[in-house]
Amino acid sequence: MKLTVRSALAGLMIMAAGNVAANAKDSVVIGAPLPVTGALSPEGTKLRQGYELWREQVNAAGGVKVGDRRLKVDLRYYDYQSQTPRAIQVAEKLITDDKVDFLFSPFGSGATKAASAVAEKAGVPMIASSASSKEVFDQGYKNLFGVYTDNSTFSEPLADLVKAKLPNARRVAILARNDLYPLSLANEFEKSAKKRGFDVVFFEKYAIGTLDHASALTQLRAAKPDWIVATGYINDLITIRKQAADLKVGGEAFTLINGPAYQEWISAVGPLAENVTTASWFHPVARYSSDDVFGSSAKFVELFKAKYGSEPDFTQASGSAVGVVLQQAIERAGSLDRDKVRAELKKGGFKTFFGPISFSDIGIADSYVPPVLQIQDGKVQVVAPAEIATSTFRTGLK
Amino acid sequence: MLWLQVLVNGLAVGGLYACIAVGFSLVWGVLNIINILHGSLIVLGGYLAFFAHQYWGINPFLFAPLAGAVMFAGGVALQYCVINHVMARPFLITLLLTFGLNLFLDNSMLALFSADYRKVLLNPAPGVFDLGSIVVPADRIYATLVGLVLISALALLLRFTQFGRAIIAVRMDRDAAALLGVNVRWTYAVAFGLGVFMAGSAGALLSAIFPISPVASAGYLSKAFVICVIGGLGSIPGAVIGGFALGVIESFGALLLGPEHALTLAFVLLIALLAVRPSGLLGRQGFA
Repeated sequence: MKLTVRSALAGLMIMAAGNVAANAKDSVVIGAPLPVTGALSPEGTKLRQGYELWREQVNAAGGVKVGDRRLKVDLRYYDYQSQTPRAIQVAEKLITDDKVDFLFSPFGSGATKAASAVAEKAGVPMIASSASSKEVFDQGYKNLFGVYTDNSTFSEPLADLVKAKLPNARRVAILARNDLYPLSLANEFEKSAKKRGFDVVFFEKYAIGTLDHASALTQLRAAKPDWIVATGYINDLITIRKQAADLKVGGEAFTLINGPAYQEWISAVGPLAENVTTASWFHPVARYSSDDVFGSSAKFVELFKAKYGSEPDFTQASGSAVGVVLQQAIERAGSLDRDKVRAELKKGGFKTFFGPISFSDIGIADSYVPPVLQIQDGKVQVVAPAEIATSTFRTGLK
Repeated sequence: MLWLQVLVNGLAVGGLYACIAVGFSLVWGVLNIINILHGSLIVLGGYLAFFAHQYWGINPFLFAPLAGAVMFAGGVALQYCVINHVMARPFLITLLLTFGLNLFLDNSMLALFSADYRKVLLNPAPGVFDLGSIVVPADRIYATLVGLVLISALALLLRFTQFGRAIIAVRMDRDAAALLGVNVRWTYAVAFGLGVFMAGSAGALLSAIFPISPVASAGYLSKAFVICVIGGLGSIPGAVIGGFALGVIESFGALLLGPEHALTLAFVLLIALLAVRPSGLLGRQGFA
């Protein structure tokens, strides 16, 4: 019994010491589950670059302004090996062991949806860098906020463009990676196409990890589509574009998401990139002025290039975007209190280099129009919306 | 015509699968090691071909044997200095060792080459053989042909050279081979080196066809595994036939069940094969 009382006293002392340490904190602790290894490591690396740039800039400026103090940003990463169950464990560890104040999401819709349940249970606001599927946000959670607009903001303007430029086009073929985000995106394209009177003559899914797409593309070719839409990630879309050319798949418009927005995709497919359309939540041509640590999109791009030697793509930009949104919410709240910060996040109205960010009732950004892009003469051009377009939409494939 | 094109697609990818699997089969058959490192070695061969093409403009199909030769030396050294120490240990130990080496190589490549996807972009593009309603990508034909030449050379080496017979002898009965004067340690090292040669060559052949990235290694390893089980462990003709069989089955699986289930048919047939013929199509213990 004596021992038990002693143990309890020792435990209380340790807890008290912990509280003292917590009260005297001089940093904002943010947890970020990252896919550093495994299939998503390219995306994980990009995301980390975005986080790091933001952290570097904030800390160089003295830190996040919380009331009358400035707190440094302390980012905690753990690798979840591109495995969603591990992402959940990492989120739990960040909350219970690292005692983070806030969370950034894992990469992609699937892992974000899974990890958001952990954040919700613990009441930790989580800013999602890379989730755009409504299915992630319709769970009634109060702690999840995503900086991407939903997938229909890609499919609607693209369907409009194809309809306007190719009035005779009727037949649409859709090939989707059987994964939460690419499939949700494909479903949005199907809806947008049908809404405009297109016939969806082919809609098939391919398994995650598919090495060869010849059979699917042979069937797609047989459907004689005018407009082809394929969803997936860079490696899938490099192979799909190449094999479509190998199999002489025709068509007047070819939309691939997400891939062509990345320079590595363009380099990998070479001339086959011509006239491929895509969409993206951010592109270095964006010209937003902002109230964040970067000051404007152009300045963000400049700093990114100086640090990493290349232009940022949307994943890299989203890594910094979640940072600036959280920072502005904390600074407005003047506190690290999660309830106050959550309330500021809900209010929205953040002027960021990524675009103006506010969230809908379910927590997904609904405040900007992502650009529609097309590869023309080896360069990425914005073809919609008209206000920021750098070129006009071209039809046909090379 | 659709069926014919699907068959051609299957054969075209089947040739690549055969290249992927042969080295894995040899190492498994002779050394009794499931070489988890195999997929990463294929990726490394891809990177060698990528840089050889980028800096010296060497065509990857011609570079393949050279990529294999460079990696052969590394493979012999790796086996002799590292893996040989655990050859007499239980199966699980060698599996763990190659698993660890695989993590090391994958992450080294991530650090060195980054995770960005790259691809050899041939200029002019190899194009396609257009046979009316059937089209066949030329690069796959070239890769398959070079792969089959290398595989045939390996088969001839095993069949007709003294060293090849030593490898087969060690595989059949290590102790008896040692009694007859075969240097078992050295034989293991060279056999592993030959497996690495085939992996490196395959990587170079694939570099113009599939994106290259350290994260692609697991996909190649799983294909090699399935092909070896279909074709028969340690059998070189088995790996070739297994490769073509898997290519065609996957292709028709995608046609009949939808692309989403391309692998379903292949795995159902694999399970059936394991039930009725566990040694694979051409597997016969002790023969190459």
